[in-house]
Amino acid sequence: MSKNAQQWQQTPALPQTHYVDSRIYTDQLLFEEEKEKLFKPSWIIACHESELEAAFDYRLFTHPTGVPLIIVRGDDMKVRAFYNICPHRGNTILYDPAGNAKRMTCIFHQWSFDSRGNCIDISRADQGYQKRFCKEDAGMREVNCETAYGGFVWVNLVDDCQPLKEFVGGALDILAPFISEPLEVFHFHKAHVRTNFKLWHDTNSEFYHDFLHYFNRITGMMQPGYFDRKYTGFPNGHASVGSMEIKYDKYEGSKSRAVGWPGLATGGWYMVDIFPGMTYNLRTSVLRIDTVVPLGPNEVIIEFRGLGLKRDTAEERRERVFDHNMIWGPFGRNLHEDLLGVHGQGRAMRPGTDSRWIIQGREENSTIHDEVGMRHFYAEWSRRMGRPAFDPYGEGKPAPVRAAA
Amino acid sequence: MVGFEIRQAVEELVYRSCMMLDDKDWKGFLALCGEEFRYTIAAHSPEIRRDMVWLDHDRKGMDTLFANLPRHNSDHSPITRHATVYTVDADTAGREATAVSALQVFRTQLDGGASELFAVGRMTDTIRLDGAASRLLRRVVRLDTRLIGYGYHVPF
Ligand code: FES
Ligand SMILES: [Fe+2]
Repeated sequence: MSKNAQQWQQTPALPQTHYVDSRIYTDQLLFEEEKEKLFKPSWIIACHESELEAAFDYRLFTHPTGVPLIIVRGDDMKVRAFYNICPHRGNTILYDPAGNAKRMTCIFHQWSFDSRGNCIDISRADQGYQKRFCKEDAGMREVNCETAYGGFVWVNLVDDCQPLKEFVGGALDILAPFISEPLEVFHFHKAHVRTNFKLWHDTNSEFYHDFLHYFNRITGMMQPGYFDRKYTGFPNGHASVGSMEIKYDKYEGSKSRAVGWPGLATGGWYMVDIFPGMTYNLRTSVLRIDTVVPLGPNEVIIEFRGLGLKRDTAEERRERVFDHNMIWGPFGRNLHEDLLGVHGQGRAMRPGTDSRWIIQGREENSTIHDEVGMRHFYAEWSRRMGRPAFDPYGEGKPAPVRAAA
Repeated sequence: MVGFEIRQAVEELVYRSCMMLDDKDWKGFLALCGEEFRYTIAAHSPEIRRDMVWLDHDRKGMDTLFANLPRHNSDHSPITRHATVYTVDADTAGREATAVSALQVFRTQLDGGASELFAVGRMTDTIRLDGAASRLLRRVVRLDTRLIGYGYHVPF
């Protein structure tokens, strides 16, 4: 039966944990709050250590809160992170997304900084400041930075933040055996999509949408074992999904998978979603990492990385690149479909479209088509925001819940 | 510099291949390709300071790709390739030529028909010369554009 305006407004007949108000995807004020309450106190993946191999190598990253960062390997080979904002008159210090800078010199008035964030030169300092202000007063703003969990560079903007180990908890234990040896990034691209960042993370947190992917319907869903994979929720909003075998040979054009990943069963697949917007995705021969950088409630940049083993031979690497491109490349079978999916959600959920409820109500004993992964995320979202995702403005009169048949 | 006839055969082939792909005439496109054809899309990432391969298919891989396209969910907005053949070089025997073309790709929305620039790059084609029966042996598209939104299933 279709619904009239009043029925459309009525909450679903499910427990309140099993749906969210779609305004959490479109409201500018909530978005500002999310930057402050979700992204600022969280550890965020900025890049990978293989992007900064030599001393003085640097990489720029825009933190999801909007803060421009420089990640730089010091003369002591330690990786540190600083604001890419000159302490003099607020200019951008480094412009190129990556490079090598023994000293970082601001082009504006030529103040220079070393790889540890010290100001090492103020042009005509004494003439202008007469010792009232000196290099020691002009250090760069350093933020917490740690390299861990597969060689990724994590940053945190808060001085006395929760330790990274505590933030991640046991969420990445499932991947630990596979990411202990040095890895290397071979693929990077960004996608700019007019949608909410949480919708991308949702897509990474549920497999019910395998119906979207011809590839997955053929290689996964129809295979034995598919429905055995289980979600595990972890503190701080993280979640993982266990392994399955993917029958690649069921998809014409997928050659037999030879290169694999050390310790991973042929066709194995592990996924870990890190709150509030990062995903580790290890499938067959490639580790993919997604990082969301939201630009607004209805606009997001997603950074995609593909990684192999640092010790790969040229032939092994070629095979990983092929596997990556087939599914996850910008022209790959699945990535385009996933992006099209969240683009469609963004199109339907704009202020004024009168979209209303997002149902996350599937219960299948935490197995693959259960929507517990998303529910787990929104429980943490609600806790951190101090607003329930099902009723963010405290208006609600929920409909009575219908019991299972 | 190659003679007028070689240049003309090469240009015709490059332009026809673009038209076939624009028209989603996969069979027609593959008919312009030799058995040993290989299609590569590459890009350089200044972010990770590496050359990347984004697609790499031999003739059989292209057959499979085109056969599977209708089974996937794809963006249906048509794209239009604008190629300009910049240079053509041929071996001394006049059997094989290399053409370097500038490539622009536009996407047109189905609803309302707004066109937008989708991607720019450079296309290097290796061509077996045989007059009107000349065939594409290799195409390497080096994309400058790397931000392509929700992407696309059809190579350009
Ligand atoms: S703003 Fe950087 S040196 Fe003046
Ligand atoms: Fe997907």
